[in-house]
Amino acid sequence: MSLKSRSAMVVGAGIAGIQAALDLADMGVKVHLIEESATIGGRMPQLDKTFPTNDCSMCILAPKMSESVRHPNITIHIKSKVESVEGLPGDFKVKIIEEAKYVDPEKCVSCGICEDKCPVKVDDEFDMNLRKRGAISRYFLQSIPAEYTIDKEKCLYLTKGVCKICEKVCPAGAIRYEDVDKTIELSVGAVILSTGIDTFNPIHFGNLGYKRFSNVVTSLEFERMLSASGPMGGHVVKFNDHKEPKTLAFIQCVGSRDESIDHNYCSSACCMFAIKEAIIATEHIKGLKSSIFYMDIRAFGKDFDKYYENAKNKYGVQFIKSKVSDISENEDGSLTLKYVYENGDIQYKEFDMVVLAVGLQPRKGMPELAEKLDIKLNEYGFCRSDAYTPLTTSREGIYVCGAMNAPKDIPESVVSASGAVAEATKYLRLERQKLTDPKDAPKEIPVAGVRPRIGTFVCHCGINIAGVVDVKAVAENAKDLPNVEHSEDLMYACSPDGLDIIKKRIKEQNLNRVVVAACTPRTHEPLFRETINEAGLNPYLFEMANIRDQCSWAHQNEPELATEKSKDLMAMAVGKAKELKALDRLPIDINPKALIVGAGLAGMVAADTLATAGHEVYLVERENKLGGNMRNIFFNFGKDPQKHLADYIERVENNKHIHLYKNTEVKKIDGYVGNFETLIVEKESKKETTFDHGVTIIATGADEHETQEYKYGETSTIVTQVEFERMLKNKKFPKKPKTVVMIQCVGSREEGKMYCSRICCTKAVKNASVLKDMMPNTNVYIVYRDMRTYGFREKYYTELRDKGTMFVHYSPEKKPEVTLVDEMNPDSGVNVTVFDPIMDKEVQITADMLVLSVAVDPKKDNIDTARMLKIPLNADGVFLEAHAKLRPVDFATDGVFLCGLAHGPKDMDESLMQAKAAASRALTFLNKKQILAEGTITEVNDTRCTGCGYCEITCAYNAIAVDPEKEIAIVNDALCKGCGACVASCRCGALDLRGFTNEQLYSTFDSLALTEELEIF
Amino acid sequence: MDNIPKKGARLNSKNGIRSAIKDFFKVAVEKEQFNLVLMPMKVPSQDSYAWMMIKDIELLKDANPIAPIMPVNAANAIKRYTRKGNGSYKIAAIVRPCEIRAIIELVKLNQIKLDTLTLFSYDCVGALPMQDYIANPEKGEVDFNKIVDERTYDSKIVKDTCELCDKCSMPAATDLHFAIDKDEVILIPNSEKGEKIVETLDIETQGITSLLADWSKDMNSIISKRAKARKTEFENVAKIAVGLDNLKDTFANCIGCHNCNSVCPICYCRQCYFDSTANKPNTDFIKIRADKKGALGYPQDKIMFHVGRMAHMSLSCINCGLCSDACPVDIPVAKIFSYTGAQTQEAFDYIAGNSVGDALPMRDYKLEELGELKDLVKSVEAEEGDHE
Repeated sequence: MSLKSRSAMVVGAGIAGIQAALDLADMGVKVHLIEESATIGGRMPQLDKTFPTNDCSMCILAPKMSESVRHPNITIHIKSKVESVEGLPGDFKVKIIEEAKYVDPEKCVSCGICEDKCPVKVDDEFDMNLRKRGAISRYFLQSIPAEYTIDKEKCLYLTKGVCKICEKVCPAGAIRYEDVDKTIELSVGAVILSTGIDTFNPIHFGNLGYKRFSNVVTSLEFERMLSASGPMGGHVVKFNDHKEPKTLAFIQCVGSRDESIDHNYCSSACCMFAIKEAIIATEHIKGLKSSIFYMDIRAFGKDFDKYYENAKNKYGVQFIKSKVSDISENEDGSLTLKYVYENGDIQYKEFDMVVLAVGLQPRKGMPELAEKLDIKLNEYGFCRSDAYTPLTTSREGIYVCGAMNAPKDIPESVVSASGAVAEATKYLRLERQKLTDPKDAPKEIPVAGVRPRIGTFVCHCGINIAGVVDVKAVAENAKDLPNVEHSEDLMYACSPDGLDIIKKRIKEQNLNRVVVAACTPRTHEPLFRETINEAGLNPYLFEMANIRDQCSWAHQNEPELATEKSKDLMAMAVGKAKELKALDRLPIDINPKALIVGAGLAGMVAADTLATAGHEVYLVERENKLGGNMRNIFFNFGKDPQKHLADYIERVENNKHIHLYKNTEVKKIDGYVGNFETLIVEKESKKETTFDHGVTIIATGADEHETQEYKYGETSTIVTQVEFERMLKNKKFPKKPKTVVMIQCVGSREEGKMYCSRICCTKAVKNASVLKDMMPNTNVYIVYRDMRTYGFREKYYTELRDKGTMFVHYSPEKKPEVTLVDEMNPDSGVNVTVFDPIMDKEVQITADMLVLSVAVDPKKDNIDTARMLKIPLNADGVFLEAHAKLRPVDFATDGVFLCGLAHGPKDMDESLMQAKAAASRALTFLNKKQILAEGTITEVNDTRCTGCGYCEITCAYNAIAVDPEKEIAIVNDALCKGCGACVASCRCGALDLRGFTNEQLYSTFDSLALTEELEIF
Repeated sequence: MDNIPKKGARLNSKNGIRSAIKDFFKVAVEKEQFNLVLMPMKVPSQDSYAWMMIKDIELLKDANPIAPIMPVNAANAIKRYTRKGNGSYKIAAIVRPCEIRAIIELVKLNQIKLDTLTLFSYDCVGALPMQDYIANPEKGEVDFNKIVDERTYDSKIVKDTCELCDKCSMPAATDLHFAIDKDEVILIPNSEKGEKIVETLDIETQGITSLLADWSKDMNSIISKRAKARKTEFENVAKIAVGLDNLKDTFANCIGCHNCNSVCPICYCRQCYFDSTANKPNTDFIKIRADKKGALGYPQDKIMFHVGRMAHMSLSCINCGLCSDACPVDIPVAKIFSYTGAQTQEAFDYIAGNSVGDALPMRDYKLEELGELKDLVKSVEAEEGDHE
């Protein structure tokens, strides 16, 4: 029996670290989140948009950042480093060093006066040194924690003993120069590492002119230039003349796929990153022409190829397959690129600006970290992990996620983070958490039927608001508003002093509603709700007016108007507050069992993970055998997949917590999170079984595409990669393969199926390698569109090239043509004719065997599963997750999760990670005895509802449906997220969103002086 | 009509059009094709019509399939009978083309179930305004019969919305249609259900192809004339309906009776929000408004009511014109709603009541809509830029 603990440590608070911390915390584990810099968030806050949805990066990340800082189970240690990890898994003793911050986080209110007055200006790393910041600063505007810190290397007082201006100007008295580094000791059961990556510094490549020519920038610098919060405010201009560029060149693979600098790997994200920047830049700058110079476009992720096609067809981005050998600067600051085509043609072209798509590389300081933690690094200096254990380091109990062990984009980082959590649970004591006992909750003062007595508080936020808005006037004005019993201004409403005053006034004045006019409810509403709850009010009796973002920030040059607007916003908030009602959050019981549909690799891994964590699992497989598609995989670059498969089958079959149903289909799934009921039917005996469970994981896999192209089916010498792999294993071929041709993208990346099947390039490389090793004299030709051997798979591609394999590029307009050597004799051999761009002419290859890399097709009956669970499919018929970037294994419907090929084509290690991630997400529910429904949910007015079903179609969460008997809509409290879409869709006014009812909204608007437009009649 | 119908059957019309239709139903009920027939019948006072669900076929003699007025939209009547399905009774409903379209809209809104309901439509010259008919029912009957018999589609005695109706012939969603051709009635099956009925009843089909070709030609020319009139008249409607100031003037005499919403088949809400207590302003509210304006009129929120109704139902408006009939102060509500409906339906590339299969615009999301929206925003911005 291994040791277990209730605490864990996550090192590195980028998106992966944040996700890992949140998952652990939601399972009831106490998490220490260690971050070297002054904020959590990692790389994502630097990004403007994210591909392929063009979501604003910060907008999707910010809620997760706020959630982690508020989570009672998460302790964030910024400016901290791990010094040592001693002991055994389950009982690690960790030492971390927390650097001095020189600012008291309890007192600092993030008003920013200190930075404004700081005489020292230093390069701002967040903005890629394109902007300056003070020696006392906040890393970026939305950084979390929000408090300022002093850079001790740059501070005049700390280095030279003079200045102390910040101490003088700080209205909160938060500066403490005497602060010292602290050593903190922690006991944790498991450690998750997610320290991320650095981008490659292209200064090494003199020919590309970085730092020599003013208009050559890296892709991350360009991202900051594009960002509305960046140094150029989103208006990209050239550095020499501050004019908009008209032409833009992206150079791919700078620091990637380059053996000369020992980077023989693909950074995986830069192709999409560059395409995204080209698209966004085109949207920003009218008439901009972008060109991307590339070797292969590796748009291998879900919906990436559609994005790539869109860039070409809709945004006119030009893709030039060639190698840029030199850049020179012209007098006017423009740049001339010299580039070489595959056929040796040399061309020159002029551009206004050049963006270097820099690759990803291990973070600086990785060897030192590895030594402290006693973990091993791989040949490139990334953290070492294995294909079948992609989340474990060389040290038991220490796990890895994010890009720290291999280049990853955001969703894969999130998946690996949740996956690493699942691994870590082995050494963590998980107990099903109860909700707080109602006895312990503060007694709430009843307000129903009592005349509203509103207290209003206006926050100065230092000078942040009061510098523009006349805060005292706003507070004074509020005194005359209906139902306002008390009004005052507070220096910092959110400081402990401010909160104490609010609580005191509630008691003194018998207040039963509170309005705070301050910053944004997104960050501060939870805090104020908690506060009034502590004073005995229901938390929903609170309303907030955002007079910072909407007044002092938006109208900083018109202070009088900003004050008037603040008064209006306050009046509206008061108008709403008087209609507020106390809301309850209903508890929902969670059944601790799980259903997993599909027992391929993903389904089995998920089952094994949940069962190991002590949960009963119903694992339902349609076929008689376990293993799914993995049964057809025999080689994996020196590793034996079948051995691993056998291991998993054995574990699944022998685990008493796993109830295995083979040859069985799921007929019906009813219910909702925590309370599902499922009917399964054994295919032969027709025996029906029903069981209850709390979560559902979809791991139904995918199919091999059935092609009719390239004469497939006409002869035994034309086979798919799967068939060929089996031949390689049995060493039996229909014809001795002296010459073999492989054609890529059969059924992928075409009109109507515009997606990359992701695994086929690597599979072709793998099978060709096995063949070359088996029969070194065999000629192998791979006819491809883009070789997409992403990440560390690149090595196998270069190795295969070194073994003498021919790669012939084709474009979809000129597909290869296949004929039989002798039409009368099917086994006579195959002629493949293809246009070779290197030779610049058509070539014919006569081969003994033709191997087709056919697409990964979604299961045809995905639609039935989707209907049963009311979950969506995308245009290709693949299950559609809740959010492509940040919720890759969740569905919008709570309690249903997704992994493996059902989510989209992926390799074994990726399926495995995803299965662990789905299990981990499921555990965040299964480890709770109850969850609370939202308070702000939709309610139905039965007498007004006509049962027309508009709301049912509108709801993204399947939380509302027309009851066929009662003929009215019924809301499922457990599923409703309170988004209000159904309310907007209801013509009959039968729906109301609690906390945003029509009455409340009318009252809000009526409080505003906006009736000018209406005549008295 | 885009295509000339291929199938059809000739009804025995020697006793007139109405008899031909009634005789058909008599046979159909005898042969157990239907158990109930929904048809208008004169009220005992002889000055109006009401919908009758007729079980006893002897009573058919008092019914009038082509009634001169439309006091209640058939969709509202059928809603009551079929909300929970039609049960075991097979119902035939003979209604105007606009009523078919209202029925189809209500099917999409879960208010009507088609199950065992068979829809019959007929070539409709229009309906008389209620007030005109009630003032002198006898004259109304005579005048109306004349325009039906003479197939006068440009008569000024029908309601203004009827005059402008370019969907007065066979609706796409009907099961069977009575084409009124010169002196005889041709029954055109327009769905699988309809074809089965024609086959079962074995009605004469001789010479049908050329008859149908002639009829289609006639109707198409009538429709295009009406469409033209509609376009011209809409220009006049725009003058009273576009812009807040015009709307205020147009609805100035509204007495807030909400009759327009009560008779509207598309206003399917159990209780209109505007009639609910949630919409009754409290004293604070009145005080705030009075403070700002110096005076407060009644009825309040007239524009809110009409614009609200437009927002809710114009996408499904089928131009039946009942709202104008019901308005006690003669506001041309129907024309304004027709006009608005034409615009909103065009914007969504939607024809109200055309087919059960066409998703209601707000229920259906098309990816390209986002692009259209962006273009729209750009064009508005460009316009604003021009003004600056």
